[in-house]
Amino acid sequence: MSTAPRVLDVTTLPSTDNVDPYTFCVELNGQWFLQKGKMIAYYGQIDFSGVGHGHLDGLVAGSFHSPLHAADWVVAQGSGKMLLADRAFDVNSYDLEDGNLTVRSGNLLAFEPSLSLKQSIVPGFLTLIGTGKFVAASNGAVHFVEPPVRVDPQALVGWADCPSPCHHYDHGYLKGVLGGIRALTGIGGASGEEHQFEFVGAGTVLIQSSETLMAEQATGAVPHEAGVPGGGQGGQRGGQQTPQLPGQLGGLQRRFGL
Amino acid sequence: MPQFRLHSAKVLAVSMSGDAVKAKNGSMVAYEGEMAFKKMSGGGEGLRGMVTRRLTGEQMTVMEVKGHGTCYFADRASDINLVQLTGETLHVEASNLLCTDSGLRTGTTFTGLRGASQGNGLFTTTVEGTGQAALMSDGPAVVLRVGPGMPLQVDPGAYIAHQGNLQQHFQSGVNFRTIMGEGSGESFQIRFEGDGLVYVQPSERNTVGGEV
Repeated sequence: MSTAPRVLDVTTLPSTDNVDPYTFCVELNGQWFLQKGKMIAYYGQIDFSGVGHGHLDGLVAGSFHSPLHAADWVVAQGSGKMLLADRAFDVNSYDLEDGNLTVRSGNLLAFEPSLSLKQSIVPGFLTLIGTGKFVAASNGAVHFVEPPVRVDPQALVGWADCPSPCHHYDHGYLKGVLGGIRALTGIGGASGEEHQFEFVGAGTVLIQSSETLMAEQATGAVPHEAGVPGGGQGGQRGGQQTPQLPGQLGGLQRRFGL
Repeated sequence: MPQFRLHSAKVLAVSMSGDAVKAKNGSMVAYEGEMAFKKMSGGGEGLRGMVTRRLTGEQMTVMEVKGHGTCYFADRASDINLVQLTGETLHVEASNLLCTDSGLRTGTTFTGLRGASQGNGLFTTTVEGTGQAALMSDGPAVVLRVGPGMPLQVDPGAYIAHQGNLQQHFQSGVNFRTIMGEGSGESFQIRFEGDGLVYVQPSERNTVGGEV
């Protein structure tokens, strides 16, 4: 183990790269979007202003498409080097080239204005579209896997290109009367891994090496319209629908013809 | 003189041959050889230190560790950073100080608004002299140099320590939007000028300043 700490200054700090696994340095020459409170230090002349005010309106209209969520973001403007970090979680930068990536809202730290940020149709996720760099945090290092893959819901950080993220339930062993009792009472044990997210098709899935989620960041409300997931007013059954697992009372009733 | 080294990122190993170090009370996790542990009231600064620390809220419960062999220190899996002092003064929050060479003098000093914005009170701990000290941080600290014409702004929640000949100013960007609840979340910064080193951690404590 080395004993002398590495001393950095404005010239030796990396330019838009990781300083260490937990700290990212942005060489600012213009503007960047940051989530509130993620800047830890900076050299140079940088102003921080809340999104959606006066002279920034144009910028916001161009690259910020979730107006209801804007209050959690800040525009850093000026020139210098700025260090970003988030509660000592691992941080990584990602490059998009005319691409798209959907990420859990709590994990996104900062992005270049050449990307545009939109709310995902999947609640709790944000989608970045365009060309540019963004910085995201994760609990433990991020791994990239290619579909077809099923991932644990708590380990999912995001995905790129995969068109069909969906739920997957392993319930083969919950079949029959015994299985129904098992599912109802927990006797006989459930592994806790019966539910996954499934990805198929071309793309990349990002997973973190821990099942501890980062605190969720509000993505803002969605318009109250029919057909909008999470919008509340859609269809007859609004809001969250719990999937009907076999073994729930409803399923048992059907099975026994009650 | 006790020899400090990092056994891992989160465990400090100090080799001693009859000399002593001051360490945060209860931070010893293991030792080899012969060690004696003695609680020091008032941070080992005598009666005056005891009263000052009580008054300023920079309380520090410290023990003196003396002996022959290697003593290992750790605290709540915090990351540990070594600092070598050669006559300059290190300013650090008492809660971030793990261990110092007993040859170093510790004291309390007034910090003003910076302390208030960090939620750490108006006072901070100083460590002076020649020898080694170990700081704790949430995530490994980044050491940044401040030189002439190269000022550094630091978020109060991420600041842990600084050393050298530095002036600090409290900088605030509070405007009417902050009051309207639409602040940038980065309204308060500490600006360091002069010549020295600043230690920042990759994590922000919850501060009053962080809310606005």
